Amino acid sequence: MTDQHTTKAYDRDLEALGRQIAEMGGLAEKMLSDSIDALINLDETLGRATAAVDPRLDALQREIEEAAILTIARRQPMAVDLREIIGAIRISADLERVGDLAKNIARRAVKLAGEPRLPRAMIGLRHMGEVATLHLKEVLDAYAQRDAIAARDVWERDKDLDDLNDSVFRDLLAFMMEDPRNITFGTHLLFCSKNIERAGDHATNIAETVYYIVTGGNLPVDRPKGGEVNAGEGASA
Amino acid sequence: MNSPAMTLQTPEAVTPPGPEKISVRNLKFFYGANLALKGINLSLYEKHVTAFIGPSGCGKSTLLRVLNRMYDLYPNQHAEGEVLLDGQNLLDPHQDINLLRSRVGMVFQKPTPFPMTIYENIAFGIRLYEKPSKSEMDGRVEKALRGAALWEEVKDKLHTSGLGLSGGQQQRLCIARTVAIKPEVILFDEPCSALDPISTAKVEELIDELSSEYTIAIVTHNMQQAARVSDYTAFMYLGELIEFAGTNTIFTSPQNKRTQEYITGRFG
Amino acid sequence: MDAKYARRRRANKIAMGLCWAAAAFGLSWLAFILIELIWNGVAGLSPAIFTEPTPGPGSTGGGLANAIVGSLMMTILGVCIGTPIGMLAGTYMAEYGRYEKLAGIVRFINDILLSAPSIIIGLFIYEVVVVPSHHFSGFAGALALAVIVIPVVVRTTEDMLLLVPNPLREASIAMGMPRAYMIMRIAYSAARAGIVTGVLLAIARASGETAPLLFTSLSSPFFSFDLGKEMANLPVVINNFAGSPYENWRQLAWTGALLITFAVLALSISARVLTREGAQR
Repeated sequence: MTDQHTTKAYDRDLEALGRQIAEMGGLAEKMLSDSIDALINLDETLGRATAAVDPRLDALQREIEEAAILTIARRQPMAVDLREIIGAIRISADLERVGDLAKNIARRAVKLAGEPRLPRAMIGLRHMGEVATLHLKEVLDAYAQRDAIAARDVWERDKDLDDLNDSVFRDLLAFMMEDPRNITFGTHLLFCSKNIERAGDHATNIAETVYYIVTGGNLPVDRPKGGEVNAGEGASA
Repeated sequence: MNSPAMTLQTPEAVTPPGPEKISVRNLKFFYGANLALKGINLSLYEKHVTAFIGPSGCGKSTLLRVLNRMYDLYPNQHAEGEVLLDGQNLLDPHQDINLLRSRVGMVFQKPTPFPMTIYENIAFGIRLYEKPSKSEMDGRVEKALRGAALWEEVKDKLHTSGLGLSGGQQQRLCIARTVAIKPEVILFDEPCSALDPISTAKVEELIDELSSEYTIAIVTHNMQQAARVSDYTAFMYLGELIEFAGTNTIFTSPQNKRTQEYITGRFG
Repeated sequence: MDAKYARRRRANKIAMGLCWAAAAFGLSWLAFILIELIWNGVAGLSPAIFTEPTPGPGSTGGGLANAIVGSLMMTILGVCIGTPIGMLAGTYMAEYGRYEKLAGIVRFINDILLSAPSIIIGLFIYEVVVVPSHHFSGFAGALALAVIVIPVVVRTTEDMLLLVPNPLREASIAMGMPRAYMIMRIAYSAARAGIVTGVLLAIARASGETAPLLFTSLSSPFFSFDLGKEMANLPVVINNFAGSPYENWRQLAWTGALLITFAVLALSISARVLTREGAQR
């Protein structure tokens, strides 16, 4: 937004909204990467610390929603401003969900701490975590820059995460078939894998929103999908 | 999670609104025998913008015209009750009315530049109260015009008629003229109803800036304008104050059914 | 349908034709008068008109200098007396008494005065001033003209002040201006063009009146600046000379009439120009 509104308070409202999204984005990104670190290293302390951040994220989302509603009520935004504000509401909801998913992973990390047998799938999970965190970071950068092309790029690469999820799924299946005592651990990891994949989906949603904010158009309904199996689709709620 | 409606009301409700500049206490107003205001109670908070909205004939302009006793110009109009400006009753017949009006400025619906030059439009008002030197006066005029975001547009034609300006410029000239005599309260009576959207936006921005120094009351038919410029909003209907609250509350979760119907366009 | 339309067109044409004819009839008389006036009046125009006084019976030559000076003096004095009174009354009616009964009464009486035959005004001043002082005077003439000027100025002042938008008044009052100040500085200045026009029209009217002067200032063959005595003036001189048997008197009457006509015309035109400027603002 290069041009300023005649009403400076309006600009201030929009800037504040953008800042709050940036803050939320930073928090969600950090939570996601921390929760995955906690999981990979089975670090109980980090897991608890990460889960404790979530209320802050929830509060921020509520603040953004409230500010957005007030801005709509008071400034009657149009065109790019309207997309900007609707976008802020949607992105904050996605980020809040990412935070929930990270919290879920972090809690599982706490639960699994001290588990001796580490499956091969851990490597796949770490990789998934890295990819999901990167996507989230990139899409938040795209939002900050209002860069539709970068956003679309992230959106297209979501299938990588789907593919990784499939491979982790297969690894964990093998791991659990090896020894029934692995099933509890394996199921937890299965949920974590699904959560990371869902976080990636939210990054994709944000990419779509950024694209909408900048261009006013929508990305196609059918995203390039990876993973024929669509592992554990029914499992996540 | 709490419902958004719950969270929305709280921030203003707990904020102390600051000192009251004008307090209206059980104000009744009569046009002849016709009761136009039926006992109004409300407060204008210092250095805040209070907007009055409501359908035509609800008494919002009447209320504004009581605040500087403009009704005194006309026979058969009178007010009862109390209007306290810094604790002093404006309706007191012993009140020095011209002095009062210098403290409570007013900007009208139609731009009303005086039939004289741009410079004189402002200097004239100043001269009513002070006798500044020529250079001092030049400074005061410039400051007032800058304050009304008009200086850049008129600095090269200060000595041409104020009637030659566009509608929006004329209205800002009137605001500059009002500000120049250093009032404490400024009343705006539908200041943008004769202006185009761009000029309207400029005047609204001006009101927003002025609110850091002045206590402002604005009557408007345009509720979106009330939403944009005000801190507090009063909804009036048939001479009664139906709801008075923070603008955010009024426009997102009004407590009164009639307020809700009015601002959502479900009225009548 | 077509037949009806044709009939309407025909009716329209006839009506238009009648209007044109009526206008042409009226204007042709005016043109006739003006041509006659210029034809006869210009012949007598010479520097002597402005330098020599009116001639005695039977003499030759002569001018209108005393009548011109008398007319100017009495008109100016009359306007100077009548304008302030008229403006004050008009101001009262438009500003202070707008919602009061008295203003309505004043307006009604003023309208009667406005249309009163000027000879009655002359007789009134005759009774009130000339009879008690036992002689005609330029001053009495000026008073009579003032009485003619007053209602015109009252009317225009009131009308012009009523045209000043009320918000302008309220805006002035809202700045804490005392009311009298608002009227003098804002309302008068907004209504200035209109009020000046009214005064000019009043001058035009007063300068052509004969009847009120017949009973008040009479006339005098001598050049004089003394308002205390009879005073020559164009309308009465024209009245006296036009029917006289002397050729040079009749010629002077024509020339005097020409002078008055053009003076009035000039005033009317300047009034028009002022009003137009006022409307443009």
